[in-house]
Amino acid sequence: MLREKIAYDVRECLLSVKGVNLNLGGRPILRDVNFEVHNLYRPGMLQGQVVGLLGPSGMGKTQLFRILAGLNPPDSGHVLIGDPPVPVAAGMVGVVAQHYPLLHHRTILGNLVVAGRQAGQPAKAAETEAQRLLEVFGLKEQGEKYPVQLSGGQRQRAAIAQQFMCSNQLMLMDEPFSGLDPLALARMCQFIKDIAQTDEHKTFVIVTHDIASAIEVCDTLMVLGRDKGPDGHFIPGAKIQQTVDLIARGLAWHTGISRTPEFHAAVNEVKDLFAHL
Amino acid sequence: MTPAGSRKAAGLLQAFSPNKILSRSAMNIIVATQVVVFLLIWAFASFKVLPKPGEVFASIGDLWTNQGLGQELLSSLSLNFEAVLISAVLSIGLAYLTVLPFFRPLVAAIGKGRFLSMAGFTLVFTLLVGGGHPLKLSLLVFAMTVFFVTSMASVVAEIPKADFDYARTLRMKEWRVVWEVVVLGTVDKAFEVLRQNAAIGWMMLTMVEGIYRGEGGIGALLLNQQKFFKMSEVFGIQIIILIVGLCQDLIIGALRRFVCPYATLTLERK
Repeated sequence: MLREKIAYDVRECLLSVKGVNLNLGGRPILRDVNFEVHNLYRPGMLQGQVVGLLGPSGMGKTQLFRILAGLNPPDSGHVLIGDPPVPVAAGMVGVVAQHYPLLHHRTILGNLVVAGRQAGQPAKAAETEAQRLLEVFGLKEQGEKYPVQLSGGQRQRAAIAQQFMCSNQLMLMDEPFSGLDPLALARMCQFIKDIAQTDEHKTFVIVTHDIASAIEVCDTLMVLGRDKGPDGHFIPGAKIQQTVDLIARGLAWHTGISRTPEFHAAVNEVKDLFAHL
Repeated sequence: MTPAGSRKAAGLLQAFSPNKILSRSAMNIIVATQVVVFLLIWAFASFKVLPKPGEVFASIGDLWTNQGLGQELLSSLSLNFEAVLISAVLSIGLAYLTVLPFFRPLVAAIGKGRFLSMAGFTLVFTLLVGGGHPLKLSLLVFAMTVFFVTSMASVVAEIPKADFDYARTLRMKEWRVVWEVVVLGTVDKAFEVLRQNAAIGWMMLTMVEGIYRGEGGIGALLLNQQKFFKMSEVFGIQIIILIVGLCQDLIIGALRRFVCPYATLTLERK
């Protein structure tokens, strides 16, 4: 099926990962990880960007996530964000962790307001913005509830809305598809696509091992894995093995893409790649 | 049996199935039955030293009207409140201070004080603070704090790393992380620890009041009755101590539910 080619510009670099190495307990986990995420601009469209960081289990995705979030420093190398680039530190990028943490002692509205206040917003402005986001995220009725009173899906949305309150351009999500049933998974994919389109200045970096879901929501994939030595054995420490441009393949920014043969071919291609990592 | 009656009987049978939640009325029936059985056993027990319920309740009346039970109770409540307050401030403060590595050994050492005997401290505290009210207060504060600080420091130590990281991702500086995660995030648990330790304090109060009887108090009254083998009075005072302890427990529990409404929302048994 021939899809219309989508015009876009590649603009400033939002995230630059240079020569990142990490050892834990003397064992290499990440080895010379390099990649860049640029701001993509679609003329006349409100289009956020979604980048997938994929890899089989045990490839150091969580460690890379923590480094990108500024929570742990790498042993060597740099993570720079923004334009002009500055070294990342905790709080400079939005982070949505796997189990969608929220402050359990605050209401959902309180959670959002405290995040806004942390970002330097005056109290009144933070509350106004929190109310707006609750509406955008379909949580208007849940504002006065506590996190334990929310369903799993509502909690996800609340955690993301909270990060919207205080994050800059970049938003990291750790395994957003993990443990979801097929229906919830479809809703989550749609939700990420929708929120990416609510703000053209938002760029999501999703760390996951779910190939199909990543291809469905992302415009670029980076596959993390180990090299093989001449003797066929894996060399410890993962690095970016392949970057898949889903826009160029006509798999990004289209609706109903998951039913196309190209989508399934891409899924199988990445699966095959996984088998050799 | 009527359908309603058989439903109620089936409901009561659930009381013997694990992890069942019974209706409030079913639980009330169970509590009432157990109280009646207890009173019957008490009333018909053949132990000579055990006074009958009637004698005990009559002695409570006598203690109240002729021996100043109300005033002694007030004195004890005031001492206990003072001790709980000082102990809570000290223990919670020290536990929160464990966010600073410098204070961790000190707090751990204070917690180890729970293995020491209070009897060995009576003389030391008398020399330090003199007798009377300060002695009773300091002994009680010491006895409660060594347990309270241990429990509370453990609450702080068990906060998962993920909670701290999460707060940092919200751009919180480290002291703000402490406020949000360590202080506000553990308020509900602090109330629970307070509830347990206030109970320990109330239990120890009678012992401490026995050390210095000049100021009176329900403990002094109890020991005086015991000295003259007035078993009805002893049991009567014990019942009063139990009721006041239960009230203290209920008040702290209610305070916890009021201040931290989120704490009990997902409990199976509320």
